[in-house]
Amino acid sequence: MSADSRVPVAVDDIWPEAADADEGVVINWFAREGTRVSAGDPLCEIQVEKADADVPAPVDGTLAEIVCAEDDEFERGDTLGWIAPV
Amino acid sequence: MSEQQEVVERELTMSRGMVEAIAHEMRANDEVFYMGEDVADYGGIFDSTEGLLDEFGHDRIMDVPISETAYLGAAVGAAQEGMRPIAELMFVDFFGVAMDQIYNQMAKNTYMSGGSVSVPMVLTTAVGGTYNDAAQHSQTLYGTFAHLPGMKVVVPSTAYDAKGLMHNAIRDDDPVVYMFHKRLMGIGWMPAPDGPKTPVPETDYTIPFGSADVKREGADVTIVTLGLHVHRALDAADSLAEDGIDAEVVDLRTLVPLDRETILESVRKTGTLVVVDEDYRSYGVTGEVVATVTDEALAHLDAVERVAMPDIPIPYARPLETETQPQAADIEAAVERTQ
Repeated sequence: MSADSRVPVAVDDIWPEAADADEGVVINWFAREGTRVSAGDPLCEIQVEKADADVPAPVDGTLAEIVCAEDDEFERGDTLGWIAPV
Repeated sequence: MSEQQEVVERELTMSRGMVEAIAHEMRANDEVFYMGEDVADYGGIFDSTEGLLDEFGHDRIMDVPISETAYLGAAVGAAQEGMRPIAELMFVDFFGVAMDQIYNQMAKNTYMSGGSVSVPMVLTTAVGGTYNDAAQHSQTLYGTFAHLPGMKVVVPSTAYDAKGLMHNAIRDDDPVVYMFHKRLMGIGWMPAPDGPKTPVPETDYTIPFGSADVKREGADVTIVTLGLHVHRALDAADSLAEDGIDAEVVDLRTLVPLDRETILESVRKTGTLVVVDEDYRSYGVTGEVVATVTDEALAHLDAVERVAMPDIPIPYARPLETETQPQAADIEAAVERTQ
């Protein structure tokens, strides 16, 4: 599979509505690199201004890469990881 | 080999493991409900009920006024009438205001009624320090609850154990005190160590009470502990391995009933016992475990050490709290003294 077909794990759609901030932190990953994930399952949990949100897997596939590890900070629009679809 | 073990890939935090078991039991049994302070709209200040309100609504996930005597008493009454309440004591440190409901009603009503009622409730409560919340919000009080007959006492250390033990707690026909350590829950503002997040099956399963778990096998020394300190003991064991000391780590998982046989079996193998507890040193878990071994396996015991919170109020100041609580380095040092 080419790297181009990977699907990003994005945060924009689940950004907490009440949050003014454009930065967040990854609290927990629920999958490791190389494990199978199903679309919609919670993939990781982020925190923005003390509000927590789950980031669902965008597609069925394998978690190919974790870009932002636990405790890493990121900005709105960043990619937290990549899914290799099946 | 006809049966194939299900390969579990997803990992859960300890809080999510607990919540999954509660949600499963609530779907299966309309008599199960949860009440406590900030458990509904807030989801539990340590995420013990996160997401349950959305599925079950305020009739079954109930916020209560700040009167522990009132709502813990209500839980005892509901349980005696056949419901299966789960009542949360926000911090175990607050048990004193409802001590009669816990110690004299919940724990004894089955006996006092001559067995005409049972009290199938779960008292969940947050325990432990490490985050500078001072002497009235940082205790574990394991010994205080395990001491009095009539209550089963559960202390999980991983997500897998937390879910299985919660299923068992809710299905048990007697009162169960389920003590979850805040530092293990996986909360954003209080990051957990690496150990408690584990693979967790989506199906329900139970872990019988009174079955300790050997979290690490070793030949040279037995470290008996529970809760957060399972992970500190495992860290210590990793360091000790570099010095050629092979430590076994026994996670008690429940204090009542206590799996004395697993402790004895391990000490008969290693000859050396180190007991580690976040609760106070005197009249507690460390003394009980050491006494168990001296009662039953004294001839096998070559050396023994206790590592526990000294008998002082837990300090607020970060360096003082860290200094007084058992750290991995303290466990290592205790093990080395036995060699």
